[in-house]
Amino acid sequence: MDVADDLVLRKVCQKLQQFNVRNLELTGETDITGDLEIDSVAVLDLIMEVEDEYGISFPMNLLSEIRTVGDLVRAIHKQAGAQ
Amino acid sequence: MDLFDKMAGLPALHEQIVAAGQDPFGVCMDEMRHATEAIIGGRKVVLAGTNNYLGLTFDRECVDAAQDALERLGTGTTGSRIANGTYTEHRTLEKEIASFFDFGSAMVFPTGYQANLGVISAIAGPDDYILLDADCHACIYDGCRMTGATVIRFRHNSPSDLEKRLQRLDGGGGNKLIIVEGLYSMFGDIAPLAEFAEIKRKYGAYLYVDEAHSVGVFGEHGRGVAEHAGVLEDVDFIVGTFSKSLGSIGGFCASDHPKFPYLRFASRPYMFTASLSPANVASVTTALRRISSDPSLRQTLWRNAHALYDRLSDLGLTLAAPASPIIAVKIPSQDQAVMYWNKLIAAGVYVNLAIPPGTPNSTSLLRCSASAAHTPAQIERIAEAFAMVAEDMRAYEAAEAFPLRRVAEERV
Repeated sequence: MDVADDLVLRKVCQKLQQFNVRNLELTGETDITGDLEIDSVAVLDLIMEVEDEYGISFPMNLLSEIRTVGDLVRAIHKQAGAQ
Repeated sequence: MDLFDKMAGLPALHEQIVAAGQDPFGVCMDEMRHATEAIIGGRKVVLAGTNNYLGLTFDRECVDAAQDALERLGTGTTGSRIANGTYTEHRTLEKEIASFFDFGSAMVFPTGYQANLGVISAIAGPDDYILLDADCHACIYDGCRMTGATVIRFRHNSPSDLEKRLQRLDGGGGNKLIIVEGLYSMFGDIAPLAEFAEIKRKYGAYLYVDEAHSVGVFGEHGRGVAEHAGVLEDVDFIVGTFSKSLGSIGGFCASDHPKFPYLRFASRPYMFTASLSPANVASVTTALRRISSDPSLRQTLWRNAHALYDRLSDLGLTLAAPASPIIAVKIPSQDQAVMYWNKLIAAGVYVNLAIPPGTPNSTSLLRCSASAAHTPAQIERIAEAFAMVAEDMRAYEAAEAFPLRRVAEERV
């Protein structure tokens, strides 16, 4: 799925902005822990905010597959569709 | 490519921390004088970060019991519980733990870490749901990873968030296991167990409570936060450790479930490891009897905890939770926390330095734990050392507020 013009992408980037201390351009390819240097616990807290935004729950087992912003956006669509 | 590439960031982080003075994660006790005093680097240091809540590590009765077991039963069992590693003493301890909680049975493990790994990995499977408090200990997370269950975190200490996530489940037939702790190790806050118990009943879930830091500390009989909250009967699994109030090493789980004893044949971290040494079992059994029969240790602990809490609070420090034997001082940044930790150890006071990602909400902490063995003079010494920290923090904040002045000072 192309996530470039996605509303969910925009929302996720908005939430990630607080961690974007180096002011990088956030895209679907941005590596959440690698590029933004967010620690693993902070990522889990960010995921919780996203879960509340969309009324979904990400099982921890799926989180290891989420590396980039695009991965997260696709996972939100999938989870929102399933729940 | 190197196997260690995945740790690439660690050396720089470690160097940055060590550059401020001593290595807070490499402290070596040259000599233990007693439960709350050690010789570190040739100097006498008050220990205010040990989890030795009741100070039983040097208790005469516990030491005598361990020495007697050592003489009678040897240094180790050299075997697993399901082979040659079960002695009468292991069974006695398990029976006494079960009766301490008034539960049907209990199992002991070589560490608290393994108790969580061993129980969670055995009771939950791929068809089940685990809902765990976000601030649960690493060994609970690790245990969950071994299950294949659908694992969902809920916001720390939030019954409403737990309920919301239970409602979001897809309605599949799996069992629901709620995992929380009694007293949380970093901030020292306690779980609202009465509300969690109500939700557990409403949704037909199981409730699993790790009371590692609260056994011997909370409750009329020292059974933990579940007893304190009056919901012990709603708890399906109580897990704990022997390495805190009980002054040794090891872990346990107690349950009233009639099939709980079958875990002995289903739990890999229980089966495929050597059993607790006889000396450990003996000191823990003695310590548990002390806790059951003598509330004075608990009373002394709370008196000391309140005394230290009040002193630190009066200094204007930001404390992470209401008074409990875990008193965590919030520090605005990691660099400051490392600096103050060094100041404290130089003043002869050891506390725990806790920094992200080992702490919730990216917080840096100087974590103290009170002990029944602390003397009033030691508490005074801890408070005096923190008074220096409080003064430094005020100076730091003032410099932050007037950066030009700081630049000017730095140039001089």
